[in-house]
Amino acid sequence: MIVVVLPLSHFVLGLFCYAGKRAARALAAVGWCLGAALTVFLMLETRDGSTVTVVLGGWSPGLGIELRFDAFAAVFFPLVLLLELAVILYVRKDDHRPLFYALLQFLLGAVFALLLTQDLFNTYVILELLTLVSFLLVGYERRPAQIWASLKYLVLASIGMSLFLIGIAVVYRHTGTLNLHLLADALSSSGDARWVALAGALLTAGVAVKAGLFTFSLWLPAAHSEAPSAISALLSGLVIKMGIVVFLRLSQLFPLELTLQVLGAATALLGAVYAAYAIDLKRMLAFSTLSQIGYLVLGMAIGTPAAIVGVLGYAVAHGLFKGLLFLAAGEASAVVGSGQFRDLAARRAEIPNATVGALLIGTLGIVALPPLAGFAAKAVLLTSHPGPFIMAVFALTSVGTTFAFSKLLPVFRFRREPKRKSARLAAYSVLSTPILFFIPLAAAAFPGLRLSPSAWPLLVLESVGAIAVGVLLHRLTERRAPRLPGSIFFLEESTLAILIGLLLVYALLRG
Amino acid sequence: MAFSAGIVLLGIGLVAIAIRRDLVIKLLALGLANAGSILCLVAIGDRPEARVPICAVCRDAVYADPLPQALVLSAIVINFAILALALVFVMRLVEHYHSTDSRRIEGLVQRDLREGGRS
Repeated sequence: MIVVVLPLSHFVLGLFCYAGKRAARALAAVGWCLGAALTVFLMLETRDGSTVTVVLGGWSPGLGIELRFDAFAAVFFPLVLLLELAVILYVRKDDHRPLFYALLQFLLGAVFALLLTQDLFNTYVILELLTLVSFLLVGYERRPAQIWASLKYLVLASIGMSLFLIGIAVVYRHTGTLNLHLLADALSSSGDARWVALAGALLTAGVAVKAGLFTFSLWLPAAHSEAPSAISALLSGLVIKMGIVVFLRLSQLFPLELTLQVLGAATALLGAVYAAYAIDLKRMLAFSTLSQIGYLVLGMAIGTPAAIVGVLGYAVAHGLFKGLLFLAAGEASAVVGSGQFRDLAARRAEIPNATVGALLIGTLGIVALPPLAGFAAKAVLLTSHPGPFIMAVFALTSVGTTFAFSKLLPVFRFRREPKRKSARLAAYSVLSTPILFFIPLAAAAFPGLRLSPSAWPLLVLESVGAIAVGVLLHRLTERRAPRLPGSIFFLEESTLAILIGLLLVYALLRG
Repeated sequence: MAFSAGIVLLGIGLVAIAIRRDLVIKLLALGLANAGSILCLVAIGDRPEARVPICAVCRDAVYADPLPQALVLSAIVINFAILALALVFVMRLVEHYHSTDSRRIEGLVQRDLREGGRS
């Protein structure tokens, strides 16, 4: 029963948000409390590794939609709640219309629903819902640049979902079911490689558009950097992870290892290069999201259970620090009136220390300084025995990330300031705390989790080494910044890129 | 047969989105592509000599699989919503830039971002 109430309550509350601004704020708080209470209940219920399952409408699992609170959901629900709380606190003092809160509730409801559903077509519907709601939220402030970014997002996401739908058709034609668990059995027994490759390629391409994978997600940099900052935090921290969740589910059905390896490596490196030479803070963060998604997908390509734990951990960690970075970057650019690194550094004195502190914690998290969130999650991934190719891309991505974030170094200066408090401090502390204390908190929430302590000194050395190399490279090449081609992010080129990517994935799956 | 027709429609739509620069034509092409994918979904419910799955007494007759048809309804509604919202946003862009040419709008957006910074 609870697994139905949790997503649905957000949609119902969202409708009542139209009553007025005050009501909307109160309902946002009510929605969070309800979500938190139900999540705690579900997590206690499934503490022994069991799952809570409901098949809607009293149908048999093959026909009805199955909702299940499983390990994936248990990992992501706390992240959803933390980001939700941070965003509600962040926009508390802003003058947002009721529409904003309503859309926020719909977005979170859809995220909860996607984490619970075990049905392929239901996944399609929820992904489309996420597209529509995030499309409206990206263009919420109605600036032309935002409207253009969100329109590109809508068109490309819609193309992706068309491919996904055909993938569903192919799967249903050959197996007669859309339930993920029944599909796993059906696919392993009937192994005609032709249609399995076709269905796998179509479904992968469809999700890849949503998940932020090169060559499918060239809408991402514009949409994530143009959106209002609170929304960027949710998009980068949460919505993009939903694609990763669907990928995790698909990779249990189709032999995707090679595909994920190729797409992941391309995404990680491309994102890192573009992030390294971005001149605008929010744009750099958006490119960094791209490279981190590549990192996650590469981790998925390792395929062992330990690697999956690492991927889940890193997805949560990335959600925390990228959310924090986007929130703080939004306040900093709003205060300075420009998001460019040059202006931020020149007018550092105007930015409150709390905001810069939040940026600093987020940066330390993302460059994986021990023992913060990024390091803890990376440590699990690195100890899951990736091959030399994946290992090399991991290392390059880490160096690239440090390189890109080194551009913030001139901003990280602290002096005593006259009493000027940041109104967003509460939001920052909600996200900073789990970043700083990631290891004990994760151990408390998931008692089964074990990190192998013998490898730790080596991992610490590696992590600090990558940071040092990244900062050093940045110092050496500071004066020379090449102009990277921007035209691949145009609508026409992005559409072509999706088609090329689809053919590539099909070829890889046919092997 | 119908399945291949759906794929062809999808292909025409995607190519049109990639090569035509007019935003309204792009959205029409998107509608075509979506219609193609829906046609594919309907097509797989077909069986040889199947009838429409609406019946009072369903005995001894071959009926098309009703599940894809139920799925298609959701997909059609979603695609309608996407096209409607996209058209509203195109309208706002046209009001601001007086153009439906995607390259031109892209250039103007880039120029605005360079000049104005982010407010």
